[in-house]
Amino acid sequence: MSDAAIDDLIDNLADELEPVRPRRVARGSLWVAAGWAAGAAILFGLGGMRHDLAEGVMMPPLPLLAFWLIVALGFAAAWSALRMGLPGVGRDYSGWRWAGLAALALPLSALVMAMDDSHAALEAAHPENGLHCLMQGVLAGLGVGAALFGWLKHGAPTSPERAGWVVGIAAGAAGATIVALHCASNDMIHIALWHGLAVLLSGIAGRVLLAPLLRW
Amino acid sequence: MSIDEPSLARLMTASQRGDRAAYRALLGDSGKWLARYFARRIAPHQVDDLVQETLVSMHRKLATWDNSRPFLPWLAAIARYRWIDLLRRQRDEVELGEGDAAVGAEDEVVHARLSLDRMLTLLPPGQAQAITLVKIEGASIAEASRICGQSEALVKVNIHRGLKKLAQLIESE
Repeated sequence: MSDAAIDDLIDNLADELEPVRPRRVARGSLWVAAGWAAGAAILFGLGGMRHDLAEGVMMPPLPLLAFWLIVALGFAAAWSALRMGLPGVGRDYSGWRWAGLAALALPLSALVMAMDDSHAALEAAHPENGLHCLMQGVLAGLGVGAALFGWLKHGAPTSPERAGWVVGIAAGAAGATIVALHCASNDMIHIALWHGLAVLLSGIAGRVLLAPLLRW
Repeated sequence: MSIDEPSLARLMTASQRGDRAAYRALLGDSGKWLARYFARRIAPHQVDDLVQETLVSMHRKLATWDNSRPFLPWLAAIARYRWIDLLRRQRDEVELGEGDAAVGAEDEVVHARLSLDRMLTLLPPGQAQAITLVKIEGASIAEASRICGQSEALVKVNIHRGLKKLAQLIESE
């Protein structure tokens, strides 16, 4: 290759130039919000909201705390994924890791509770009592996952593997928040296990399925 | 035109609006900046190819620059991505058993080595030696095997693992 080859390339690229609309995180955020709303509308349309919430009664404190922990994780992961679409050396995309660390309080609390009452834990862990929540969580998060994937596909994520993880975790957390507003269980072991698994499985799916598609 | 951040940011803003003259100037300056960037990171015979690949990526991802942020970190992020991609491709070539071209140009070799040497110190000695012999000094797998006393299969494995580790190190920098 030579300077002449680079000059030819520059001439060709300049001749192809068309105006572009710079991508804005705010616009991507709207798509993510729309994805969450679509997932929620479908699940609530099919199965309705929790009875207490539908009647204007607040959730009990521990499920409420779990709900907000998952919301925080979802927000942090979605925000990180949106920022990953606009690259820059020195930019920090690690906020989701801290939120993820904080969200570990959920399974750890459930583990302590399970050690205290193993019979109740075994009952809660029975697939018959929670598999549907896991499936609903994964499916309800697909809207957010699709919005973030579309954003990153048109963006320039410089670490597709990390981006795949983060998109999956954001989608799973979004789905888990929707399920939390639908599922009537106040059992922390059920929430940590079945709602939490939706986050974990979505994260793994994002890493395995999306990362190769996010290369550019 | 000097390659300074404010000038490049102005050219990029005009380029996003479709100004072809500004874009031509921007690509020219970016090409020079990239050549210097890669000269300290890869073997000299690969610099021109990687500059061109990065310019094409820059063209495809023009909309991902946010004009409220500086331009050069954006360009550096794209350059680093293409660099990591090159390391991955080299790793895959080793898996396929392909050879590599020898390297000339003494002065440039020294510059490339300055940065690479620092990175190679972070690898296990066997991996660093295999990469140095085959990927930098241009030895064949068989020659590297004789020089460093590793079997040919081990040389390939060490290059594969070393390049993978290097890509991870660069990503985490």
